[in-house]
Amino acid sequence: MTYLRKSWYALPNLLRFVVRRLFVGALLCLGITFVSFALTQVVPGDPVSANLGDRAASDPEIVAAFRARYGLDQPIPQQYALYLERLVHGDLGESQQTHRPVTTDLSQYLPATIELASAAMILALVIGISLGVLAAIARDRWPDQIIRVISLAGVSVPTFWLALVTFYVFFFKLGIAPGVGRLNPGGKAPPSITNMFTIDALLAGQWATFGIALSHIVLPAAVLAIYTIGSITRFTRAAMLESLSQDYVRAARAKGLPTRTVILRHALRPALAAIVTVAGMAFGRMLSGTVLVESVFSWPGIGQYAYKSALALDLRAIMGVSLVVAVIYILVNMAVDLIYAFIDPRIRLG
Amino acid sequence: MRMTKRNYRVLPLAFAASMATVWGAFAQEAGTLVVDTAFQLKTADPAREFEPTANLVLHPVYETLITFKGSDLTKLEPSLASVPTISSDAKTFTFELNPAAKFSDGSPVTVDDVIFSFNRVKNVKGSPSFLLDGVTVAKGSKDGEIVLTTEQPDPGLPYKLANPALGIVNAKVVKANQGSADEGADKTDRADTFFATASAGSGPYVLDKFDMAAEVVLKKNDAYWGAKPNYDQIVVRNVDTSAQQMNVMRGDSQIALDLRPDQLDAIKDTAYTLSVPGADVVFMFTNSNPEISKVAANRDFQQAVRLAIDYDGLLEIAGEGAARPGSIIPTMFAGALPTAEGPKRDVEGAKAALAKSGIKDPVIELTYVSDITKNGISFADVAAKMQADLKEVGITADLKPSPVSTFLDNYRAGTLPMTIVWWGPDFPDPSDYLLFGPGEKVGLRAGWKEGTAPEVAEIAKKAAVEIDQTKRTALYDEWQKKLNEQGPFTSLFQPAFSMASSKTLEPVEYNAMWTIDLTAIAPAKQ
Repeated sequence: MTYLRKSWYALPNLLRFVVRRLFVGALLCLGITFVSFALTQVVPGDPVSANLGDRAASDPEIVAAFRARYGLDQPIPQQYALYLERLVHGDLGESQQTHRPVTTDLSQYLPATIELASAAMILALVIGISLGVLAAIARDRWPDQIIRVISLAGVSVPTFWLALVTFYVFFFKLGIAPGVGRLNPGGKAPPSITNMFTIDALLAGQWATFGIALSHIVLPAAVLAIYTIGSITRFTRAAMLESLSQDYVRAARAKGLPTRTVILRHALRPALAAIVTVAGMAFGRMLSGTVLVESVFSWPGIGQYAYKSALALDLRAIMGVSLVVAVIYILVNMAVDLIYAFIDPRIRLG
Repeated sequence: MRMTKRNYRVLPLAFAASMATVWGAFAQEAGTLVVDTAFQLKTADPAREFEPTANLVLHPVYETLITFKGSDLTKLEPSLASVPTISSDAKTFTFELNPAAKFSDGSPVTVDDVIFSFNRVKNVKGSPSFLLDGVTVAKGSKDGEIVLTTEQPDPGLPYKLANPALGIVNAKVVKANQGSADEGADKTDRADTFFATASAGSGPYVLDKFDMAAEVVLKKNDAYWGAKPNYDQIVVRNVDTSAQQMNVMRGDSQIALDLRPDQLDAIKDTAYTLSVPGADVVFMFTNSNPEISKVAANRDFQQAVRLAIDYDGLLEIAGEGAARPGSIIPTMFAGALPTAEGPKRDVEGAKAALAKSGIKDPVIELTYVSDITKNGISFADVAAKMQADLKEVGITADLKPSPVSTFLDNYRAGTLPMTIVWWGPDFPDPSDYLLFGPGEKVGLRAGWKEGTAPEVAEIAKKAAVEIDQTKRTALYDEWQKKLNEQGPFTSLFQPAFSMASSKTLEPVEYNAMWTIDLTAIAPAKQ
């Protein structure tokens, strides 16, 4: 025991931190499987009614075959135990609506959403941080006022409405955006490596496909980014204002350092800790909240999959989506903590 | 490849070239037809599908023994086989296979393929299995002859056989891909995975891509045994209804299948529009089971409700193109009753019926589905209108919205005192609607027990076995009139099916079985 303890403390702080967080994350995932399983059981409604046609749902033989195929004929505790046993082997069960393994569905839909959310995140970070810094520098002057209105609008505009309006303006009226979907109608996807078309096209050197995939992602990503741009702008402004009032920033200015260096190296870097927190949370929210954007732009992502699964009471799919989103949240939070340490060496992990 | 500075300089050029290709690619490829619809799709396996989008995309891939042309669902047309000869007891149906018929791999369509396909549908126990309940399929005495026999007389059987779920598959190919038609196929057949990646039919198109969240791509079957298809490729995309109209107007797609009637005005100058009654019938019932509701089960109360409803007002809510059938069978099917035969609003008559019922200030729960719409029509709007109509005659309806998943359980269990619901046809024959009779499946949901309306049951019994089309139609007419008088059901309307198609195409027809016939769509004549 003492040996184990000594070995544990002999590990580098960072490694100890990661191992501990992963262990807690695994426990959290176990809890999530239990909660999502319990919730799917207490929801009123029978998957048989939601998945079988009217006639088929009235035929006891067909209903029995359906229940047997999806394990719904087992006692509830046994269903959960079986789910966990399969989960250990990476099997999330079979979807009742697609008749495919949930892992296959997720491997198809999740990358589409991650690709969309990542593009939106990049846009949100670049624009949000730039506007936040500008607003802080020009505090209470007209650029600050304009940016305040923009960020307020960003967090207030309903996403569904914004998606429809942008589609109408840029696709229908101006004709400068492509239509819906990830590629043009009937377009061949690049060889599948990550299932993110822009990345796969780049890896395969298919420039035309890359261009098509990129052009299709711009508009939905911009719509998805709007809310996060608003919140990142506001947080950046607040964090920058705090940094700019610090003595070391005044000292840097007094030393005659160029404004650019003062802003970027002395003021922005400590402000980044707050921004990273907001960005981490925003990324998780984007992954689980893309359904409206996916719907308008016919983006076959996990949001639409989750929505349809919920309507069809597709228990295994609902649990699969919950688990995957939880894992991503946990990993993103861990990444945020690691980035803290990188940004601010005063922070000790472990 | 190691990236050098020179390589990096080339990157913007490559990017610019790719973007130029993108703008060029916005233009539609010739030879490709693009159709937008909001997917209702679960599988590409004909033996397991029973969704509208599956019917749309599988109809051009898997041919059936017989079919329909255009929008007419009352006349059988030959397809892989001739129109059947039917025995006088309506229990034996004999088909002759067309010897020219070939699958996409060039092999001939045989009687064995038909037997395999039908037995597979029965034994995988999927949603369409009921279509062949009690049906036995066997070889006939002659080459290429198929004989279907039923336990009970079933003159409606040939109309079921046009359903794409009963498309004929290449038995050899399916067996080689974990397919089975034997008893226990519900556990042993795993061919649905194969059907998601390839097809094994004899239709003018083959499946090229099946992505049930994004798009289904059909490719021309070069070995097709009939007339050559009009397009090299058909892309059916899953597109939200909000974007479909804009896509057709911009030329991004040629057909939009899920428009609301009110969207057609904006598009009528740039595209052909069509708004016709769909095959679903929205109806209401007051439950005849006094254990569920003494109020609802009262015959005079039921009559009061029937007379209180403003049917024309409901039709206005349903929008242009919607229709009202005289009873439960939709207007496009043989045996449909004219609108004039249906109940009419009579406020004074409703008040008198309510007084006769002896129920003072009745209050009743009116349940409706709150999370889906039917062709753009909200059930909440329909329920609110009915609530106002009933209030006028002194009936208080407490509106009870319910998500579809829980609604279906309660509806099928027959526990709803009063509800608005819809029935989509399983096959285009009036016999599908006999389920609304007393003691039958839908009848029981409305608490209408066996033996409570012997006259209605007797006519239904005769209609079920009559093979003479004229006599059959007359019997269904009579049955529906009695249903209107004595039953708990009142049909409200058939929501409109509204679509738009580009003027670069010949006008497109609606077909209640597969929405539109993709194989019949053709470019506009110059």
